[in-house]
Amino acid sequence: MAPNFFAAPRPKPRKMLNQGLLFLIALVATIIYIFPLFWMVSTSLKAPADILRDPPIIFPSDPNIAIYKEIFGQPPATAQVPIEGLLYMKNSLYLGLGTMLLTMVLAVPTAYALARFRLRGNKLFMVLLLLTQMLPEVLLVIPLFIFFRDLTLINKHLSVILADTAMALPFSVIILRTSFLQVPRDLEEAALIDGASRLRALWKVIVPLVRPGLIAVTLFAFLYGWGDFVFSLSFLQNKELHPLALGIYNFVGYYRTRWEGVMAFSTIIALPVVITILALQRYYVTGLTAGSVK
Amino acid sequence: MKVIEWRANPKLSKVIRFPGEALSGGRSGYLFLLPTAVFLVVIIGYPLFDTIRLAFQEVTLRTLASGERPYIGLDNFRNVINTSEFKLAFRHSMVFTITSITFQFTIGLGLALLYNKAFPLRHLFRGLTLSGWRIPPIVCGTIFLWLFNFDYGFINFFLLKTGIIQEPVRWLLKPNLALASVIITNIWLGIPFNVILLASGLASLPEDVYEAATVDGATPTQKLAHLTIPMMKPTILATLILGFIYTLRVFDVIWVMTGGGPVNATEVLPTLAYRETFEHFNFGEGAAVSVVILGILLVVSLLYVRTTHEEVM
Repeated sequence: MAPNFFAAPRPKPRKMLNQGLLFLIALVATIIYIFPLFWMVSTSLKAPADILRDPPIIFPSDPNIAIYKEIFGQPPATAQVPIEGLLYMKNSLYLGLGTMLLTMVLAVPTAYALARFRLRGNKLFMVLLLLTQMLPEVLLVIPLFIFFRDLTLINKHLSVILADTAMALPFSVIILRTSFLQVPRDLEEAALIDGASRLRALWKVIVPLVRPGLIAVTLFAFLYGWGDFVFSLSFLQNKELHPLALGIYNFVGYYRTRWEGVMAFSTIIALPVVITILALQRYYVTGLTAGSVK
Repeated sequence: MKVIEWRANPKLSKVIRFPGEALSGGRSGYLFLLPTAVFLVVIIGYPLFDTIRLAFQEVTLRTLASGERPYIGLDNFRNVINTSEFKLAFRHSMVFTITSITFQFTIGLGLALLYNKAFPLRHLFRGLTLSGWRIPPIVCGTIFLWLFNFDYGFINFFLLKTGIIQEPVRWLLKPNLALASVIITNIWLGIPFNVILLASGLASLPEDVYEAATVDGATPTQKLAHLTIPMMKPTILATLILGFIYTLRVFDVIWVMTGGGPVNATEVLPTLAYRETFEHFNFGEGAAVSVVILGILLVVSLLYVRTTHEEVM
């Protein structure tokens, strides 16, 4: 029988032991790390009486979704103050969609130009974008409040959308620029030679090729508006306009002891974020590492 | 410019550096940058300038209504910096930031080294470790508010069960423990960021150097101390400096967990700036605190640029 040269060498027992040990360490580390998120979901699915049990119930065997029903407009007869969950959610959707649209309109041409054109000041522009990313939100919220007050934008969602777009823009441009850099230039040149205008070439040839990067950025920008807290807290005094993140803040204030409610709100805000990050993490990882350019 | 690449995805790390002549764009290329440039000048540039101007003006709710903003020199800084609130907030900010990044970095480096080794399902574990990266800080705050709860929080339950404490601890009500609690929360929030940057740095190290060291009989500890750490120095510096910048500005976590309390125990510079502005309606003094934060960030960034420049020369 001919020896099979292509088979991987059988791992030595010592090596297997080592790998098993590393696996165990990683497993324990991951469980500890994930626990707060798991506990959030788990608490939101417990009946109020079960939350105060000692010892605590780790996995609610009989999930209780009453709180989600209450948040989404089906309050029980005993409810004191209605939780305006649908209203909060609608406002969060507005902020998310607005931030998403404005970010894409600005980021796509910018990232394209930074990837494709040899413009004087390209590097400076990138550096300024990276610096923008580092500015504290609290630092901007004070002058923006005065600025938007003069423009009578206070108590309008647009004020929050403008601020969130400014915060989401640098990272979005960095991710998109990396995507554009990976499109073979020949392809675009061919389209240009065929007589397509640059914009047409951009939309018909390039955009389909960078679709994953576009999706990653679209969701990133959406989630930035979706989870906004500081700008909404400062610019939206009218309760009708509050997004989920402020809803949770109000809720903690009203019902500090209704932990299933606090955790259900948290789950509603956090779940789309976690799913998006896990599904598209390689694009975000590239963006983050490319963003730490020195 | 050096781009740290995430080697696990070779498709993404292929970066074309010099676009060809046919696509050089010409002057019309600037039109593509114009909307973003204008937007950022209006929404970031002008407010930044205005913060600095506000810090030297008297702006309260009263002057805001009349539209007058008289210049008062350094009065805002004098009024703010000499208060015990500011001194406390400054100290807390330093303790919060330095303790947070020390632990975030150590844990992040440990995990990055772990995921750099070959073992089953390591990509899955690494992926899960990033799941909290973009969690809105407010949500992170509410989760830990619940975990640290005095009566029914999981942390007290766990510590009582394992015999580490005999009595439940009032985490968020005792001044020192409240600061520790928000720091622990923030450490959790910052781990993914550190893992991503450090793991990418590790993945880009040349393998042949390690092979040579193995042939020469170097132990794993020797390799870590004499190869990994020195070669990782630029990444480590970048991670620490960016970590400092992103931690100094933390606001939401503290605002929802303690609101800066109990009795100023968790007040940091960002919460102080916010309080001066939106609770005391003293925009000038709030801006003065902002300028102090900006000054700290500037010093740290310059130090960073300086050290990395020395590296190159």
